[in-house]
Amino acid sequence: MIKTDVIIIGGGATGCGIARDLALRGIPHCLVEKGDFAAGATGACHGLLHSGGRYVVTDPIAAHECYNENLILRRIGEKCVEQTGGLFVRLPGDSKRFRELFLRGCEEAGIPAEAISSTLALDLVPNLNPEIEEAIKVPDCSIDPFRLCMLNIRTSQLRDGLIFTRHKVTEIVKSHGRCIGIKATDQATGEEREIRGNLIINATGAWANMIASLAGCEVPMTLAKGSLVITNHRLTNMVINRLRPPSDGDIIVPNEAVCLAGTTSLSVENPDKINIESTEVDTIISEAGRMIPHFNNTRIIRAFSGVRPLLKSKKVDAHEISRGFQIIDHQNGMYSIVGGKLTTFRLMAEKMVDVIMASFKLKKACETAEIPLDGQEELSGYPLSKRLADMKNIVCECELVSKDEVQRIITETGTRNVGDIQHRTRLGMGPCQGGFCTFRALGIMNDMSVISPEQSMDMLRGFLQRRFRGIRYALWGDQLREEQLVEYIYLGILAMEKPQ
Amino acid sequence: MSVTEYDVIILGAGVAGLTAGTFLAGRGFKVALVTSGEPTACLSTGCIDVCSRNHNPLVGIKELPPAHPYHLVPGETIIESLNNFQAAMSDIGIPYVGTEKENRLVLSALGTFKTSCLVPSTMAAAPQDTKASIHIVSFAGLKDFYPSYIISRRNNSKTSVYDAGVSSTMGIASHFEDKDFLKSFIIWLKEQNIDEDTIAFPAVLGLESAVEIVKTISTSVGKPVFEIPTIPPSMPGRRLFNALKDNFRKKGGNIYWGWPVIGVEKSGKIIEAVTTESKGRPNSLNGKAFILATGSFVGGGLTATREAIIENVFHLPVHVPGPRDTWFENDYFSFNHAIGRAGIKVDSFLRPTETPLENIFVCGGILADTEILKYGCGHGLALATAHVAAKSCMEYIR
Ligand SMILES: Cc1cc2nc3c(=O)[nH]c(=O)nc-3n(C[C@H](O)[C@H](O)[C@H](O)COP(=O)(O)OP(=O)(O)OC[C@H]3O[C@@H](n4cnc5c(N)ncnc54)[C@H](O)[C@@H]3O)c2cc1C
Ligand SMILES: Cc1cc2nc3c(=O)[nH]c(=O)nc-3n(C[C@H](O)[C@H](O)[C@H](O)COP(=O)(O)OP(=O)(O)OC[C@H]3O[C@@H](n4cnc5c(N)ncnc54)[C@H](O)[C@@H]3O)c2cc1C
Repeated sequence: MIKTDVIIIGGGATGCGIARDLALRGIPHCLVEKGDFAAGATGACHGLLHSGGRYVVTDPIAAHECYNENLILRRIGEKCVEQTGGLFVRLPGDSKRFRELFLRGCEEAGIPAEAISSTLALDLVPNLNPEIEEAIKVPDCSIDPFRLCMLNIRTSQLRDGLIFTRHKVTEIVKSHGRCIGIKATDQATGEEREIRGNLIINATGAWANMIASLAGCEVPMTLAKGSLVITNHRLTNMVINRLRPPSDGDIIVPNEAVCLAGTTSLSVENPDKINIESTEVDTIISEAGRMIPHFNNTRIIRAFSGVRPLLKSKKVDAHEISRGFQIIDHQNGMYSIVGGKLTTFRLMAEKMVDVIMASFKLKKACETAEIPLDGQEELSGYPLSKRLADMKNIVCECELVSKDEVQRIITETGTRNVGDIQHRTRLGMGPCQGGFCTFRALGIMNDMSVISPEQSMDMLRGFLQRRFRGIRYALWGDQLREEQLVEYIYLGILAMEKPQ
Repeated sequence: MSVTEYDVIILGAGVAGLTAGTFLAGRGFKVALVTSGEPTACLSTGCIDVCSRNHNPLVGIKELPPAHPYHLVPGETIIESLNNFQAAMSDIGIPYVGTEKENRLVLSALGTFKTSCLVPSTMAAAPQDTKASIHIVSFAGLKDFYPSYIISRRNNSKTSVYDAGVSSTMGIASHFEDKDFLKSFIIWLKEQNIDEDTIAFPAVLGLESAVEIVKTISTSVGKPVFEIPTIPPSMPGRRLFNALKDNFRKKGGNIYWGWPVIGVEKSGKIIEAVTTESKGRPNSLNGKAFILATGSFVGGGLTATREAIIENVFHLPVHVPGPRDTWFENDYFSFNHAIGRAGIKVDSFLRPTETPLENIFVCGGILADTEILKYGCGHGLALATAHVAAKSCMEYIR
């Protein structure tokens, strides 16, 4: 049995941020995550490091928090933030009154905002709809959520934090009414692990109520599903927002070679049972297409959705519910931290750890806003020159990932999971969505004898099913054609399965 | 604009288009074949799937759902098309083994069995059960071939790796065409002291001379040798395509290569010409009849948009299985994705229905209700329907 001071459940931005903060304040801790890092809303989000602009009219407090955090993250997390800047564009017919409220809100929240002409906006982003009336420039940025989690975890690892990914918490151990530990199941082996701690932090986002109920408590939340689509091209170098009250399909965020557009907002009951509807995809494309007309005929490589953990509110339209977060003291040794945004994860962690320090009667102050994230030097990635030198051994042609790189990740992380390789190398993130290279990555693992051939077949099967869930809602045009090719390869040429 | 007159214009250089073209050219018709590019045959294993659902493909065909286009092909035409194919391939030097009455098993690169009907002779020695031990030779750096996948299903099998100095499928295949390379390879192979019953290779044993190369290796080591089809680029698929193409040319057919059809000239119910784009200059090909063999989505005959499915050349009405949400099932491996039924509905002459046009005949993968993956009927259906389309065309012109 493992003993520690604080157990964190959930490896999204919030959980990883808490681990880092605890590490910097010298508190022994252990983080347990059922998937890989960023498996929940964190990995399914837009990756917009908000300037706060989006909330200045509806939620000035959240807007102010966002801007502060935006400044901090640009300082401490250079390597996972791209300082793209952002535009709020006003299309013909969009309310002028909202524009006034927007500019006033920015001023009050201290967010730099500059109204520019459509000509200037088109100079900045040539793909913009030439019919826009004007644009307002704000300091929005693009952030890589997975990297963000990894860098936060790095600090924890450097300071003896214990990390268990692919471990699902199935039980909260209690004694005399107090939570004293958890039981978690290793998702690969089925083995059970018991971890004891003085405090438990429930940072499971949309799953928070499920975890709370294991301890006999409740976290009142509204779950709002949001869907996003990814394009095959980077159609804009700046974040593009629609200058109107938050609504469907009004944000486009560039990220590496692609763009993410979304989102929608539909209330759901169970975060594990979410589907995308083709109407959502169509809405996003046509709304994004109003800001960047190319959207209507660009190739969409994937659609996915995440669930926003929002605090319970009486308002019906989930777009309007406050993005503020809350820390709930269940009075039994467990705290739940819910709500918020990716942008404010650090602040949420700070407040959470302040509460923990107080309960331990310790004084060390939070330093997460001053110290740059650990491990950024190594994150310059795998330089292009190196990739090109390995050219004849490229296993993923879309993202130029070489065999050496795959072998390195396998050796360094000891991973047995092809998803982990994908997150760490971008293997399979291009137009074919892993259709070709996953067969290769598993073949490499197989040849290295780190997995049994049976496992590799199971993983290949699992991967193709998961991949299909992502691309299923974006199948038309070239993407459908490519999908048919991949289907013929696995089911025809490789006879992977036989029809019943 | 240059104008050329033909009896029949064929669109698409796949198994269907080339077969229909060869049939007509062989009977004295003036035939032109226009294609935008390579067919799906080049991506395929080269094996001719006729119908994989029953051990006897002909029985399997009878059991297909009523809407399946195989039911539009008379039984004797199916057999005729397979016989013609086998005879032509033997003539050209890439013989196929198998009969229309019996399916065979082809060992896949995952170690599973693909069920097919006529297979290239280079795959003939593949074991038909899981017992026989195999020695798998693989090549350094070949990124789409991992013997461990196969060995997992056949634990009495072994592997060894040869460094050919190149690592692409094409590169290794062209090395094998070189006599000296082959000689030193055989010396190496003998040094491996192979105990297993048979020797397997990824399908890289040469471009044109594969049959010869397999024989040479097999005689030198005194063991049966066979090829395992790879994912594209596929050498056996390319050999099939080259053979069909050469055969068509030998019969006097004309190929307009790399010329996508971009326009159609109509007069009432008759298509008079298709316009193609070549080197920036439009080119008009006049014909009395037209055979549409542009394949399905992968081949390029059909394109799906968010709202509809379009036939790209004549804009013929396409049978769409339902709204976009229903094109795919949630289970990737269901084999029941409705999209497999999309295509052109035809009458018994393989003339498209729901259009007044009279002189178009449709064959191959672009037909509706084929469900090629589910029923394992890719090239076989292309051969059979090409024969029907060609015959209908002949009748129409007379
Ligand atoms: C579509 C969409 C777009 C968004 N876009 C943005 C944006 O652009 N900018 C922004 O700032 N915010 C955005 N957000 C909000 C942001 O994603 C979330 O607020 C934030 O990521 C929440 O992080 P979290 O760590 O609290 O939760 P999550 O990331 O959901 O993490 C919870 C974790 O708990 C794990 N878990 C659950 N149950 C168990 C268990 N039993 N055992 C172990 N682990 C468990 C899950 O696997 C998951 O990894 C968006 C949200 C959505 C849905
Ligand atoms: C990856 C893969 C593997 C396969 N493996 C096998 C196998 O092992 N065995 C088997 O039996 N079947 C297999 N099939 C199925 C088989 O290839 C097809 O069902 C069959 O060959 C259909 O051929 P076709 O002649 O109708 O069309 P296609 O092979 O699709 O050829 C269409 C032709 O039309 C041309 N074309 C398209 N649009 C235009 C235009 N506008 N103008 C001019 N030309 C145009 C294309 O360039 C191409 O030459 C496989 C299919 C795929 C995709």
